[in-house]
Amino acid sequence: MLHRGQSWLAAKLTKHASRDVVYQRDEVSVELSATIGKSEYEQDDGEGVITRAQVRDFLINTKDLLQSDIGTWPRRGDRILETDGDTTFVYELMSIGNEPPWRYSDPFRVKLRIHTKLVDTIT
Amino acid sequence: MTATPATVIQIAESVVAEINTGDFSKTNLSAQRLYVPNFDLEDMKELRVTVVPREVEYLPLDRGSNKYHATIDVAVQKKFSKGDAKEIDPLVFFVEELADYFRLKRLNSFVAARCVKVENSVLYSSEHWTQFNQFTSLLTLTFELAK
Repeated sequence: MLHRGQSWLAAKLTKHASRDVVYQRDEVSVELSATIGKSEYEQDDGEGVITRAQVRDFLINTKDLLQSDIGTWPRRGDRILETDGDTTFVYELMSIGNEPPWRYSDPFRVKLRIHTKLVDTIT
Repeated sequence: MTATPATVIQIAESVVAEINTGDFSKTNLSAQRLYVPNFDLEDMKELRVTVVPREVEYLPLDRGSNKYHATIDVAVQKKFSKGDAKEIDPLVFFVEELADYFRLKRLNSFVAARCVKVENSVLYSSEHWTQFNQFTSLLTLTFELAK
C-alpha cells in the first residue's frame, strides 16, 4: 500500500511540479520530465584553491530513464540540459560530499535523485 | 609615484611572465597572479594557471642581511570530461614541464631570486577530482635571495 502511495505521489510530482529536461550521455540524448529537488551553492577550498559550483538535484522517474535510450542507471559525467527561455543550463552528474552522483529518492526506488553541478551556460 | 611592490609580489609577477612567455606543451597560456584562486566550476573549461604568493621566510645570512625565501604556489586547473589518461596525462606533463623549467632557475625579470626548491606535493587533488570532475595540481616553488 505504501508503495502504491509513493507511486501516486511520484506521478503527481511529475505531472504538476516537473519540467522537461534533456538527459545526455555522450551522443545519446533523451527528453525526460524532472522535478528540481534542491538548488544551492557549494564551495570547496581544498589545498587553498577554491572552486565554487551551483548544485542542483533532479528527481527523475526510475522507469523513465531505464526505458529511454539511455537504458541504464545514471553515470558520473552524464549531463542534464535545462532550458529556461533563451538560456540552456548544462549540469553534469557529480558526487556531492560523500554521496555518489545519484541515489534512490524513496524506499521503493520510484524516483532517482540525481546530483549535478552547473558546468556551462549557453545563451 | 607608484611604490615598488613587495619582493614576494615581484617574484610572483616574474613567475607569471615566465609561464606566459615560456615554451611549453600548452600554448597561449594566460597565467595570472591572485591572492586567492577562487573560481566557479563553469569557468574551468579552459586551462587555468594561477600564481599565488604563499609564504615568506627570513633566515639569518650575516649581520646585515637575510636569506630570504619566498614560496610561490602555481595552481594548474582544468575541468575534464572523462578523466581518462588521454585527457589527464598532458596536464600532468605540463605540470612537470613547469617544474623542470623553474628548477634552479634565476628569474629573467628578477635575477636576484633563484628557485631552490620545486615541489609538486599535490600532483592532483582527489577532492576536486571527485567533487568537480576537475584536475587541480599544485606546484610549490621556493625562491631564494639575499635581502
